[in-house]
Amino acid sequence: MSQVKLSLQNALLTLEQLQQTPSREDGITEEQEDHLRQLGCHLIQHAGILLKLPQVAMATGQILFQRFFYQASLRKFAVRDISMGSVFLAAKVEECPIRMVDLANVFDHLMKKFHRLPLDPMPAFQQAFYTLKDATIVAEMQILKKLSFNVHVQTPYATMINYLKVLELIDHPVIPQLAWSYLNDGLRTSVYICYQPPTIACSVIWLAARKENVALPTTPAWWEVLDARLEDIENIAGHIASLYHRPLPISSLPLTIEQVEPYLRGEFNSNVINGSTAISTASSSKGTRVSRFS
Amino acid sequence: MEGAAASKWAREASSDEEDRNQRKKKKTKRFKPSKDSPAFRDGSGTPSSSGRPPRESDMQREGASVDDNLTPMYAQDQEDQEGYRHRSETPVDTSRDQVSEAEPEYHITVPEAEQHPVLTQCRSVENYEKLNRISEGTYGVVYRARDRITGEIVALKKLKLDQEKNGFPITSLREIYTLLLAKHPHIVNVREIVVGDTLTQIFIVMDFIEHDLKELMSEMRAPFLQSEVKTLMLQLLSATELLHENWILHRDLKTSNLLLNNNGELKVADFGLARRYGEPQGVLTQPVVTLWYRAPELLLGAKQYTTAVDIWSIGCIFAEFVNNEPLLPARMPNDKIWPGFSKLPLASHVPNFVQPYNQLRSRLPYLTENGLDLMSKMLTYDPARRITAEDALKHPYFSEAPPPKHPSMFPTWPSKGEKTARKNASPSAPQAAHGHGQDEEEAGGLFNFANQESTGFRLKV
Repeated sequence: MSQVKLSLQNALLTLEQLQQTPSREDGITEEQEDHLRQLGCHLIQHAGILLKLPQVAMATGQILFQRFFYQASLRKFAVRDISMGSVFLAAKVEECPIRMVDLANVFDHLMKKFHRLPLDPMPAFQQAFYTLKDATIVAEMQILKKLSFNVHVQTPYATMINYLKVLELIDHPVIPQLAWSYLNDGLRTSVYICYQPPTIACSVIWLAARKENVALPTTPAWWEVLDARLEDIENIAGHIASLYHRPLPISSLPLTIEQVEPYLRGEFNSNVINGSTAISTASSSKGTRVSRFS
Repeated sequence: MEGAAASKWAREASSDEEDRNQRKKKKTKRFKPSKDSPAFRDGSGTPSSSGRPPRESDMQREGASVDDNLTPMYAQDQEDQEGYRHRSETPVDTSRDQVSEAEPEYHITVPEAEQHPVLTQCRSVENYEKLNRISEGTYGVVYRARDRITGEIVALKKLKLDQEKNGFPITSLREIYTLLLAKHPHIVNVREIVVGDTLTQIFIVMDFIEHDLKELMSEMRAPFLQSEVKTLMLQLLSATELLHENWILHRDLKTSNLLLNNNGELKVADFGLARRYGEPQGVLTQPVVTLWYRAPELLLGAKQYTTAVDIWSIGCIFAEFVNNEPLLPARMPNDKIWPGFSKLPLASHVPNFVQPYNQLRSRLPYLTENGLDLMSKMLTYDPARRITAEDALKHPYFSEAPPPKHPSMFPTWPSKGEKTARKNASPSAPQAAHGHGQDEEEAGGLFNFANQESTGFRLKV
């Protein structure tokens, strides 16, 4: 019998792609890019929670988001649009499709929350909804196109659980949850597009075990048994751990494409939009639909 | 109880006084980024007091106190301690002792590009020169085209996206995923996905295969020889075996979706209804599979079905190869030969009549006993007892005389695809499988004739 097990490996970045991102070439600083990436992932994670998606779908969405901005610039595509498209697409990829109405409502709510606007519900069947809907559909196609339809992502969650079992840590009161949380938070870094899932799984276990002062076998070293290199493990752990020392000024980050330019000039903060026009919801009441693909 | 469990992880009390000191010293180093690694995202910032509060899972850079407070709470549980002795004897800490003294650097090391796929964009359809239209299926038009660089002839399948209200159709995502995943000599090879000028133009680029079996068989004067049938069946079953092993259902196997090239190689195509399934099984779409090839449990509205539905289709295809005409088994089962039959949603609609034994023999007078046995096993009503692709491949039918003909010995025919477009003569797979959320509205199954083509077989009720 043949017993061929098929799998599509995750696409990873080349060194050039990592060093010179399209956003960097577009004059966005490293810190700004990092903030916007984290913002998008934050948005996706929270939207996924509100939409009751499985964590794997949120992870897929965040990885798609991260991948996309190695192919396109943050100046040309808004964080809002691409994160909506990522959630929408990831839900389909993971076989738990969501309705457009739910998606739009959740994002409308989150965006108001992020910019500390009053949390009024989004009016139904009006321009605000159609704007979000059209943006999502265009963004979804853009993601598919820029990633050449390679949107099925392998995630390390199941692998990590198996590794925890192998290491007899699965019943530990803290480590499984801690390692799982590291996996979630690690989505905001670039590790998921630089390393394959098993290495990441090893790394979060390593990090969690260190945090909890739990000894793991070293003869032979457990990571060698699991085919990971200590150097990679430490790199990933360092990246994830460093997240917790970088505050994310959520309310002063731009979500729509109109907000990006002021932000890059350093003129954007949420106070500006509080009173005025920056989020074009609720203002126009006539529901004129714009064409789906511009 | 809890103590006993947790003591697995309690460190031995005596083990690491100095270890702890060591870590204190090295802590500051751990988060120093290396200056010469451009890829490294700056992680050396001071822990912030503003903004997002540091998570509870914060690294213990300042956390020496945590270490000091760590008391070997459960160390008195000697027995358990013994159990984990083998860990304690070796240097217990997985951490610094193992690492070289050099200051750790956090940088991204990227594996060689050959070892993994890289991120790329879709190429433009302009890389191909359209020659002519081959056919128009349910999901899109297929063109014959030439690669402008290599001159190779390929098939371009244009996806129909205009009607979609839910963005990119999930079925097309499944199709592309399955095709990219399932590389097999008898599954049609997909080269890439290309896009046209606007975002609605998506093309799947596949190897051009000369014939589809439906078309071919309608042109042939005599049915395939037994040796040829065996070869085709072996090829089809091996492709199906690969799919099933990898938890993929094809859900639309029929002769018009099987391609044959002039080297006698069969290729399974059109994964428009394919999807992954898992354990435990969720509810799957109904109806699926073209009516002529649809398994009885599908006809009767089962929403949880297995790889057995593909095997039923293969059984129908087998008979079609032998007879050169579709097999239309319009017979209804009962609880005696298929326990659980009466529990299916639409079973009560079916009039009760008795069919004590199968009558395949009358339809296939020239097939050998082994061949008939295999077909009966593929067309077993009870999906749980239906043969698997793996077992079917080992069936004695394939080892009895005449042996399967080598593909290179197959006759060849002029290709239809090189000429003009043609109408699809066989019925199509149900439309409902194309969007999500339609399952509920579909009454589904046997008696929903409203949308069915006139060519489909009907049961006289």
